[in-house]
Amino acid sequence: MEPEETQAYLAPKLGPKLLAVEPFKGTAGRVRFESSAALDVFREVRDGLGYRHLSMVGGIDWVDHREVFYVAWTDDRKEYLLLSTDVPSTDPRVESAVPIWPSANWHEREAFELVGITFDHHPDLRRLLTPDGYEFHPLLRSFKLHEPEELEVKTRNV
Amino acid sequence: MGHLTDPVAAVKPPQAPATDGELPMVDQPAVPFVEIETLRAREFIPAAKEALGSLLQEQAQGNLIRPVFNWAGRNSLFPLHWGLACCAIEFAAAFGARWDAERFGIVPRSSPRQCDLLIVNGTVTWKVAHKLITLYEQMPEPKWVIAMGNCATGGGPFRTAYSVVPGVDKLVPVDIYIAGCPPRPEAMLDGILKLETLIRERGE
Repeated sequence: MEPEETQAYLAPKLGPKLLAVEPFKGTAGRVRFESSAALDVFREVRDGLGYRHLSMVGGIDWVDHREVFYVAWTDDRKEYLLLSTDVPSTDPRVESAVPIWPSANWHEREAFELVGITFDHHPDLRRLLTPDGYEFHPLLRSFKLHEPEELEVKTRNV
Repeated sequence: MGHLTDPVAAVKPPQAPATDGELPMVDQPAVPFVEIETLRAREFIPAAKEALGSLLQEQAQGNLIRPVFNWAGRNSLFPLHWGLACCAIEFAAAFGARWDAERFGIVPRSSPRQCDLLIVNGTVTWKVAHKLITLYEQMPEPKWVIAMGNCATGGGPFRTAYSVVPGVDKLVPVDIYIAGCPPRPEAMLDGILKLETLIRERGE
């Protein structure tokens, strides 16, 4: 499916919350949308366009803002679709995709602990890979490497 | 006959020198020599009591059974079959046909209850640290720990990473460190043999 077809389907349903549908190499395109319309986008992409599988959720720290991206897959046409939204660094917050795609659960936990993005209405937003009580979001640009001893004091939870 | 050597003294064996060999010889415990066949039942019980009492006294001082257990334990070290990272591949190769670690009595077991040797082979993260401590505590005494590879020794290339324990000796007491990234199976076998020497010297 071409990006123009995707835009033609999504634009009347989302209105100005849909920012653009750009071509992206190797995929059916990249859908950029306002973060407040996240649930509507997810629902339309899954039920209307047939992307029934969400294979990845991730976050990127662009210093002045942060980006949350989703990779959806459809078995009907064997192609990926990227979804992308920007959130402010001061309050990185987006609606959780778990009600639409349950596979988003652990991916969102990982994005939460590594990039510090809060997913609203996530059923169990705990840290996934780092120990409980860990204070940092290690994939942020502002994260500095610590001396091992310093990190030990802050993370030891055994 | 005065010029002849005393026949009793001649057959008496020379005093064995005190050796620190494999099995340190202890002085003969004062077990009364009894002719079991000629004893009646009512005489047997107090004699056996006396013999057992002197044996237990020797054992309480630690020089009767402990050398035997030391010898048996150090020659049949059972490491825990717990692979963490690429060092576990070398660990597995050491038990294959080429290096055959079982000829040294080293048999990996899958339950910590059956093990007396914990070989930490791989990068330990803070997330898995409490599981490592739990496994160590589940092993029966006496127990030993080998830190295999640079990661377990000091964090390796991930020492300053955000989630890696900089050396497993922050969690459990380590007896032997094996360097390498990863160490070859010969190095692992050498470390285990050095641990056997260590156990013999300590007399645990």
